[in-house]
Amino acid sequence: MSPELELFLQYVANGIVAGSVYVLVAIGLTLIFGILGVVNFAHGEFYMLGAYAGIVAVSTFGLSIWWALAVVLAVAAVLGVITELVLHRPLRGHDAVNSIISSFGLAVALQNAALLVFGPQPKLLRTDWSNVPVEIGPVFLPMQRAVIPVATAAVVICFHLVLRYTWTGRSLRAMAQHAGLARLCGVGVERVAIVTFIIASVLACVAGMLMSGVFLVHPVVGNMIGLKAFTVVILGGMGNVHGAVAAGLLLGVAEALTAAYLGNGLRDVVGFALVIVVLLLRPQGLFGRSVERS
Amino acid sequence: MIQRALTIVLIASLAAAPLMLGGYGLQVLVMILLFAVLAAGLDLVTGYCGQFSFAQGAFWGIGAYTAAILHRDFDTGFWLNLPAGALVAGFAGLLLGIPSLRLRSHFLAITTIAFQTLVFLGLSQWTSFTGGQYGLSVPVVGSVSVLGYEVAEISDIRSFYWLALAVTLLCLFIAWRLTQSRLGREWIAIRDDETLARALGLDATRGKLIAFVVSAALAGVAGVLVAHHIRGVSPDDFTIATSAAVVAMVIVGGRGTLVGPILGAAVLTALPELLRGAADFKLIIYGMLMIVMVTLMPEGVVGRLARRRA
Amino acid sequence: MTKLTRRGALTLLGASGLPLPALAQSGDPINIGVMLPLSGGSAIAGREVIQGVQLAFEEGSKDGALGRKLEMITEDDEGSPTKGVTAVRKLIERDRVPVVVGTYVSGVALAATRIAREQNIPMVSAGSTAVTVTDDNTPGNPWFFRGFPGSDLQGQFSGEDIVRTLQKRRVAIIHDNSNYGTTLADQINRVVTESGGTVISRESYNAGEQDFSPLLTRLRSQRPDAVYIGGLVSDGANIVRQAADVGLRTQFVGSGSMMTDSFITLTGAASEGFAVSSMFEPEGPNPVGNEFAARFRARFGGVNPSVHQALGFDAMTIALAALKRAGKPDGTAIQAVLKQGMPDVKLVLGPPGTVAVFDAKGSINFRIGMAQVRNGKRAFVDPPRQQ
Repeated sequence: MSPELELFLQYVANGIVAGSVYVLVAIGLTLIFGILGVVNFAHGEFYMLGAYAGIVAVSTFGLSIWWALAVVLAVAAVLGVITELVLHRPLRGHDAVNSIISSFGLAVALQNAALLVFGPQPKLLRTDWSNVPVEIGPVFLPMQRAVIPVATAAVVICFHLVLRYTWTGRSLRAMAQHAGLARLCGVGVERVAIVTFIIASVLACVAGMLMSGVFLVHPVVGNMIGLKAFTVVILGGMGNVHGAVAAGLLLGVAEALTAAYLGNGLRDVVGFALVIVVLLLRPQGLFGRSVERS
Repeated sequence: MIQRALTIVLIASLAAAPLMLGGYGLQVLVMILLFAVLAAGLDLVTGYCGQFSFAQGAFWGIGAYTAAILHRDFDTGFWLNLPAGALVAGFAGLLLGIPSLRLRSHFLAITTIAFQTLVFLGLSQWTSFTGGQYGLSVPVVGSVSVLGYEVAEISDIRSFYWLALAVTLLCLFIAWRLTQSRLGREWIAIRDDETLARALGLDATRGKLIAFVVSAALAGVAGVLVAHHIRGVSPDDFTIATSAAVVAMVIVGGRGTLVGPILGAAVLTALPELLRGAADFKLIIYGMLMIVMVTLMPEGVVGRLARRRA
Repeated sequence: MTKLTRRGALTLLGASGLPLPALAQSGDPINIGVMLPLSGGSAIAGREVIQGVQLAFEEGSKDGALGRKLEMITEDDEGSPTKGVTAVRKLIERDRVPVVVGTYVSGVALAATRIAREQNIPMVSAGSTAVTVTDDNTPGNPWFFRGFPGSDLQGQFSGEDIVRTLQKRRVAIIHDNSNYGTTLADQINRVVTESGGTVISRESYNAGEQDFSPLLTRLRSQRPDAVYIGGLVSDGANIVRQAADVGLRTQFVGSGSMMTDSFITLTGAASEGFAVSSMFEPEGPNPVGNEFAARFRARFGGVNPSVHQALGFDAMTIALAALKRAGKPDGTAIQAVLKQGMPDVKLVLGPPGTVAVFDAKGSINFRIGMAQVRNGKRAFVDPPRQQ
């Protein structure tokens, strides 16, 4: 295998790792939008708080990684319920701009609360297996990176099964397709709303925890990841979960290749430029079907 | 009648403010004026025409950078920069207006967010043209002469405040006239029901594009003002946070009322100043207040008052 | 709470234009202004700087000054120029401060110092390194003072050290898009080439970027002798950690902001051999710096000060010393003292014997050294000697 090709595969592998995180964060965002019509600007803060929850559990309370995961899930659930109570319930029936502003306020408040509680110094999750190398053919990844796409795949499959085969999943899908009809058929809107927010929050918090061993965590870390998740949601088609999965991986790889071959400074520009082009040519997203939902 | 009297009293007291206030008070007032222009401009697009935009901060920056770059390359002064800033920002507004012809609500909102982010990245990274993070220097407005006679020297905050007040009032007057015109009624028709508006023979395409152009041009004017006020430009003032703050002013004040967004600009600009003593909690309170306001008064303060009266 | 309400009320009064009781009557305390980014992206640095500022203030204000008590008034400029202009006007007019210590972001410092200069109030930099700010001074009559060299000189020294001291020839440069990162990269590029090295690549990133693996993977294939990083500490730590992840082993050289123990904690084993431009070492050759470090540890729970805390300490020390010497709380008098220099005020930054004497543009240009991490501890490679 030529060195050029090996290098290329390495870029793609790195892109898939970064893209996996976009997938986890974006699924929740697109779900909240698709089912409830809420545009959540504080979604990046879920990621940030999930990361901090894991770090505090491990380094302050000395918990093992699995117990830390339980803590993160608990924090995520609480966060999901609170966000639903703030962003969705009182604003129902108003247009999405109100939820945009409200969630923007929530993001500002959460970021500055995190600054107050955790301080400005970046933090990192440390584990024993952090630097064990994994080699897949010519591609080289440290264990903590290699585990991310695997965990993402597991989470996405679980989520898919829930959506497909459980009563809750079916009510979620029913709501997404036709809220009014779903209500007539006995779907509890409030329950669905809470479940949606919890799922979204759990996915983003888990993403935060997974990445907190790879990237440093600080109070404004959610800004960029939030924007990237929005990019993914648009590319995948708003409200389209499978589209978000594909678009997240695509964006991760596209960014890695841009950074590698066109110059690192251009990587963020590419994503946003892509969004504008896609919206102009295919407003329903790359993977969306052309249906205008009222 | 009462409204007219109130307006006159308000303008008179604003004009008299430099006689009573020091530089700090005037500085806060100047920022309120600038944000009033930004918010009123956005209200034309969002409140009247019903199109969402999170790019007002970008147009503000485009106006400011137009002034700075024209000054650097052609040694122009304030009076040439002012129309130029409006023109360039207006043209950028036209570009952003084009997607609004195809996209609705959230899609449009997200497009404008992408536009805002791209403008910011351009300002901060196209170093050879914009100075990158170094920013660029801009001189004070300097002497103002009419037909060769020097009538004023604008170099301190006091004289600049009067200039900013005059320009702001002009901008707000233009915005107000537009809302009262046939065009303004067309906007409302488009907002309330675009299909119906089109069926009635209104040119919705033209209406939307004009709204975007005027809104951006007003932001451009505010940009030229801030460049000469701060005496320089740097990308950090023109972020998505600024745009979101302007949207918040419009929503909290009451969209589609023009007075509301101006009030929103005043309150949300003064609020951090009043909270200065709270230091660490300042932005937490700011964020929570935004949530509370939107939750309790989704139609905005002025919108709520108007509804109550009706 | 009472304090908050009182201040809020005062601000309200001020903004509404009602006459205020004269704040700076004799017997009232003299207010010293501090302006730093305490929220927003630059808060990480701002909150470190302020610890040093605070320690210097606590030590220097014990007996008051000029027979009056001293009070420190801190304003958050959020790293935004428009916010900074408002903050500096508030400090000067509401709080009647005769001198302002601040600020960290150079763009904000530039905007603020133009206002302060008009009001005859000198400013002492609390971290801004751009030469644009000192270049804005009228040579011979500066109003903005910086107690350490600008980033142009830092780049100059680092570039020389990479080629001469560390003996590295093929150098790659990574820098953030900020003023700071770009200036440093420009300088390193020039100096390395002039000193006989080659710059094999130059890449930029946005401050706060998370994933550097594509960039570092490509660098690995270019096999540089050394990689220079111009940027903030969190990004530098991310880069050095991820370099180990992608298997890039080379000599990393960081800019001055990475001179902190938290860099070593964050990067762990990957920090071994890391070199950093250093104006200050807690256990360096400068005895004033060593004493400051000991007092800092005692005050802040055993944590070693970084360059940020050290420069914050110097900035406040300089401001208080100048106030006491000026004999009155008056900006012009303080500027005259600063302009003349205070050869007996020893600084914690720089080589032994560095004192608060500024050049015509308001800067102190000492030799910046290079420190390297060995066995988890940082020490000067070739300690800068007495000036």
